[in-house]
Amino acid sequence: MSQTKAGPIKVSPTKAGPARRPRARRRALNAAAVLFCVLWAFPVYWMVDTAFKPYGDILSTTPRFLPYPFTLANFSDAVHKSGFLTDLANSAVVTCAVVLLSIALAFFAAVALSRFRFLGRRGFLIAVLVVQMVPQPALLIPIFLSLKSADLLNNLVGLVLTYVAMVLPFTIWTLRGFLHGIPVELEEAAMLDGAGRMTIIRSVLLPLVMPGIIATSVFAFITAWNDYLFAYVLMKDQSHYTLPVWLVSFSTSTGTDYGGLIAASTLFALPVVVFFMLIQRRLVAGMTAGAVKD
Amino acid sequence: MATSTAPRPGRAAADPAAVPARPPRRRRSGASLPYLLLLPATAVLALVLGYPLVRLVLISFQDYGLRALFTGVVPWAGWANYRTVLSDPELVPVLLRTAGFCAALVAGTLVIGMLVALMLGALGRRMRTAVTLCLIAAWAVPNVASTLVWQWLFQPVYGVVNWLLTQTRLFGDLTQHDWTTSATSAFVLVWLLVVWQSVPFVALTLHAGLSQIPRTYYEAAALDGAGPLTVFRVITLPFLRPILGLVGILSVIWDFNVFNQIWILTQGGPNQGTTTLGIWSFTTAFSSNSLGQGAAIAVVSVLLLLALTAVYVRRLVRSGEDL
Repeated sequence: MSQTKAGPIKVSPTKAGPARRPRARRRALNAAAVLFCVLWAFPVYWMVDTAFKPYGDILSTTPRFLPYPFTLANFSDAVHKSGFLTDLANSAVVTCAVVLLSIALAFFAAVALSRFRFLGRRGFLIAVLVVQMVPQPALLIPIFLSLKSADLLNNLVGLVLTYVAMVLPFTIWTLRGFLHGIPVELEEAAMLDGAGRMTIIRSVLLPLVMPGIIATSVFAFITAWNDYLFAYVLMKDQSHYTLPVWLVSFSTSTGTDYGGLIAASTLFALPVVVFFMLIQRRLVAGMTAGAVKD
Repeated sequence: MATSTAPRPGRAAADPAAVPARPPRRRRSGASLPYLLLLPATAVLALVLGYPLVRLVLISFQDYGLRALFTGVVPWAGWANYRTVLSDPELVPVLLRTAGFCAALVAGTLVIGMLVALMLGALGRRMRTAVTLCLIAAWAVPNVASTLVWQWLFQPVYGVVNWLLTQTRLFGDLTQHDWTTSATSAFVLVWLLVVWQSVPFVALTLHAGLSQIPRTYYEAAALDGAGPLTVFRVITLPFLRPILGLVGILSVIWDFNVFNQIWILTQGGPNQGTTTLGIWSFTTAFSSNSLGQGAAIAVVSVLLLLALTAVYVRRLVRSGEDL
């Protein structure tokens, strides 16, 4: 693999060798980078490539590496499969609800945690941290039974609540980190000008914490959009599936329709990939802000 | 995690003189406001995380099978579920498999991620952007989609990877090879998939950490004639330790819990050869309808994971002093 090749050529120039060495080093480094890019991008490339290839080229024992001739047939095939549009709508509704709810709940909680000192504040923060350590699959059984007794199985509301709870610890933690970075003096100035508490929260804190809200809503979006396990267990029939469950059931029910399956996967992956690309600069900062900064 | 290197203002919290340094906060008046603000989040967390957590432990002591599901009458079972699980001949292989697979994933992710992070730092701007975009693309694909793509890449007869491997003529004719027929090759398949998708987070985070190391240290090392390996060991690693620790622990947690990829690709087969703790708990609860035993397995795996990450949890809770 390319990584082993990248091994010996890592740390920045140390010894000033003969003039030729840096250039040879640079060339080897770039070669390793190109090889890495090819390896890492290939699965994504192959997904898109397959999605645009005509059926005959997909099922050929000698693979064709360019999507030429080009076709959209796989996409129309996928979209017209029974259940795709319903389940796409389910996914969209659930994801939007989770993003809005979790951000609202987490924002209020984060304001309380970063702007007030009160009894139980530390306990709450520690509880949130520890709860985050519990692996989600372990909660599958009790959540299944609880929603069953609450009559919320096979109901999108149950799914939304589950995802909101999964997302909240991280969201609260991260938003609190962002709020910490905002100087209290701003609010005090607003208070001197006679603004009430809710006004301060709405028109001073909210706009300033927007980058944090964007970072955490991306996290909420991805959790809800990508989840397979909970939707698979909690939803009983196809009209309540979300897209990932639809995709997997499609893959097991129709043995060889790889064109439609991969085209549908591409459509499913598209919003997330676009999202990631748009925010790529802030991605790492956002992912680690809550954990690294204290 | 940065707390271990950065000055820790909160450490001084016990010292009353340090308190006024903090901006004064509004408290006293309207003491119920913070509780009101916390209430909705607390309600959801308590209902959908706290309560299920308690109930998980309760269920593990109940005879929760098909009969209980239908009649609604759930008899207590004492330690029976745990006894069954702990004496199951499957237990030891499952534990070894889970631990071994998790270790292989963490090691692969960290080593490759570290190398990529170092490479990113040494590349020119254009190549760096190209590598970053490839990393983000791999990271962004939802794991259900990537798992289905994996199935397609490694498909017998039509899979492009089998074809490419056959073209190298190193392994003979692999075009008909089905990767899921042996546990080892199925694990290789899942390992490649998980590592492919986990490296981006590790590489980008470590790269961010690397770029914060002051250049002057490297310049001083160069003046002293230190070789690249020495520089890495003496400067890079110590500086990176807090971030490396965080990334390592997160990887352990994530890789211990890998489910979708295994479930979709192999369903734990062949012959339970790829059944990890998560899969075992799931099939026991939902395929054999023994929710009690499934819950007992889940409790055992939560305890194992907590033991594995105890150091981290303790540090987190202790950093609670800084909150």
